[in-house]
Amino acid sequence: MGKVKQVWRVLVVEDDSQMREFFAASVSRCAELALAASCGTVAEAKAWLDDDRNTLDVLLTDLGLPDGSGLEVIRHAKRLHPHCEPLVISMFGDEDNVLASIEAGALGYIHKDSTPDDIAQTILDMRAGASPISPMIARRVLSKYLVYKENGALARVPTERYAMKNESLGATEGAASRGLLSPREQEVLGLIARGFSYAEIARLQALSVHTVQTHIKNLYGKLSVHSKNEAVFEATRMGLLSSLG
Amino acid sequence: MRRSMTIRRALRSLLFWAFGLGLGLACVSGQALAQAPAQTLELRAAQATVTLKGQTQQQAVNLPYHWDRKHPGLAGSATFELAFELAAVPIEPYALYLPRLGNAYEIWLNGTLLQTKGDLQQGNGADYAKAPRLIELDPSLLRTRNVFRVHIRADVGRRGGLAPLTLGPRAQVQELYQHDYDWRITGSLAVVIFSLLIGVVALALWATQVDVSASGWLKRDPLYLFAALAELSWTLRIGDTLIAHSPIAWPWWGMVGLLAATVWVSSMMLFCVEVADWGRLTAAIWLRRWLGLLLATSVAAGAAALAGGFPLAMTLLYAALGLTALIFASLFIWQAARGASLAHRLVALVLLWNTLVGLRDLYVFRISQGYGGNTLMRYSSVLFGVTLGCIVIMRFRAASAQARDLNANLLARVAHREQELTQSYQRLEQLAREQERALERSRILRDMHDGVGSHISTAIRQLESGRSGPGEVLQTLRDSLDQLKLSIDAMNLPPGDINALLANIRYRLEPRFLACNIAWQWNVEVLKPVSRLDASAMRQLQFMLFEALSNVLQHAQASVLQIAASSLSAAGTGVRLQIIDNGRGFDVAQVKHRGLLSMQERAHAIDATLDISSTARRTRLEITIE
Repeated sequence: MGKVKQVWRVLVVEDDSQMREFFAASVSRCAELALAASCGTVAEAKAWLDDDRNTLDVLLTDLGLPDGSGLEVIRHAKRLHPHCEPLVISMFGDEDNVLASIEAGALGYIHKDSTPDDIAQTILDMRAGASPISPMIARRVLSKYLVYKENGALARVPTERYAMKNESLGATEGAASRGLLSPREQEVLGLIARGFSYAEIARLQALSVHTVQTHIKNLYGKLSVHSKNEAVFEATRMGLLSSLG
Repeated sequence: MRRSMTIRRALRSLLFWAFGLGLGLACVSGQALAQAPAQTLELRAAQATVTLKGQTQQQAVNLPYHWDRKHPGLAGSATFELAFELAAVPIEPYALYLPRLGNAYEIWLNGTLLQTKGDLQQGNGADYAKAPRLIELDPSLLRTRNVFRVHIRADVGRRGGLAPLTLGPRAQVQELYQHDYDWRITGSLAVVIFSLLIGVVALALWATQVDVSASGWLKRDPLYLFAALAELSWTLRIGDTLIAHSPIAWPWWGMVGLLAATVWVSSMMLFCVEVADWGRLTAAIWLRRWLGLLLATSVAAGAAALAGGFPLAMTLLYAALGLTALIFASLFIWQAARGASLAHRLVALVLLWNTLVGLRDLYVFRISQGYGGNTLMRYSSVLFGVTLGCIVIMRFRAASAQARDLNANLLARVAHREQELTQSYQRLEQLAREQERALERSRILRDMHDGVGSHISTAIRQLESGRSGPGEVLQTLRDSLDQLKLSIDAMNLPPGDINALLANIRYRLEPRFLACNIAWQWNVEVLKPVSRLDASAMRQLQFMLFEALSNVLQHAQASVLQIAASSLSAAGTGVRLQIIDNGRGFDVAQVKHRGLLSMQERAHAIDATLDISSTARRTRLEITIE
């Protein structure tokens, strides 16, 4: 959020017309957001995304659509508009759906019962670098990806203490091994899983809240990349792809 | 079926060849007896000097001189002088062939002793009248006029005497002798070996093939026993041909031979009874008694004939035996002809053949005046051994077929049982799954009833009554949605993980507290999972916490909510949960809120204790899980 007020263009994909209108209105109400379009099916959304004239910054999509899954829309959008940030509309924010969305490329999720202000705020927060994560998902991510960490044993380097260096560390890790979670990320996830708020974590870990949020957002990206790599790795292993190119 | 046909055919052809062989042999031996080479000289006319009971008589006789026929029941000695002329004194080697003479003898030619066997004075000594004799003659001993002098000692019932002498060039005479020797001695040896073998095998079968009868007694098959007895007694009987010196003195040895013959005939019949499966018939019992009587009589008859001088006793015994065998054989063969088992028919054929051969032997030995010769039954009887072999093979085949059937049956039953087991296992598994589903269904129903259902019905009541404002209804509906989210989260809660439970509750409910300006203080330690809390107990605990927090949110008017959780012991067992607010408090004794009652019930259900204390500015709800 710089001095020049930027307006984020939002695409809403929701099959329930009442809900769709509610989300569209919530977006339109916010001065910093602009409704790019709203669709009710995967096909419509894809068609809109395929059109070169259309640009978007945020994708807001439901998962259960009449002609397919919102995950398809997320993947399609990430492919054609790599800079867009998808958000999933979830009724319950239950871990199975959210984790699948994150792996498809989503950077957050919004509850269906949120107030219009909450919706706009969640979008703006995400653009500012804060992705929400529930303790349940944190616990699930820890248990799912910790095994990879054990394989990619890394030396603790001093730079690790500094949040801003974490990005490069994560990239090194990703490139060097299949290790996914840095020790810092593990600590943060562990605290989230035990119910601590971002502010409490920041205090406990002597970090800024923003840094904690950045950790989470980075994590989202990593999980998505990781799941793609996993897919490629699996496909290569099974002989579906002749080479990694 | 096809296999059994093949075996039957094989057995038939075997039998056919055996018969053919027997018939052929009989013909050959008959022909040989009839033939006499042209250049040989057969001497039959003799001047005999016979000494009986100290009295000597002279007379001209025509050989053969069959002592037992001429002097039944008497022992004695005799000298035969056979004078003969040769046209020219031969220069080639000559030989003399004597089919039978004895029981002891000396042979002289023109005053030269040619051969002596046994003691002429010692009655009932060694018996040399069993084998044919060949004596080689130096041509120098022969002249144109010659005399053979033969001294013999003859015992009672021992086939003593003198057969016609055959003189001629050695090569030709040797041929006659060899033929006779082969038939009587070599053949007997072969029969003895064969019978002994079959007898021992049959005995071994009888000893080892044991069945456990219904009554629990070990049961051996008498068929093998009778076959063994028949073969072994036959071995003894025929083996006698081969020895001059009997193991015990004559006439006792003669009785052994007679006994062996009786045992052989009796065992043969009893073997046939077993083959025909007549063992349980009354007639078979009588037959056994009759044969037992004959056996006992045979010893007496032998004594009377061989020691007492009544040869008729032995003849009568043989007649009784022969007649019994003849009647039995007729019945047996008749029954076989009317249709019986394969074994029965096989034995019947052999029996028929042996009966014919036996009648021939009877004629040769007991009726005709012939002396020399040989019983052919010793050869035909070998067929009994062969049929026994066939029977054993058939039984073995039947037994192995039965075993195969049993095996197949057993396999089928095992497979069937396995299938049944699999089915029942599947049913059980299905039942378990259904039970699990039923449990899950009832859990979800209870959840819906206690949670969403009750909230929605409350909302409806609120709207219908018209006394509640939109804010209250909204509150109820939000509670309902929160409950729904919590119940969905509860599905993924690891059983016993109270950290996860608390974190989830905070995540779901804190926003509403923040909206009401109630700050959370989080004092939750790392807790060890409480293993006794299953999914359902976790849900109960979740309900309790939800109820407690709802009360704080709706009634307490607090500004700070503190959630604390710690282990009960240093070892980390048990959990103490505290929800503390700084609200207005309430009189614990007075307020009987429905929610509080339900919390008590839930605490009781999961074996936890609930303690509430309240003062102004501090209300504490404590749940202790041991």
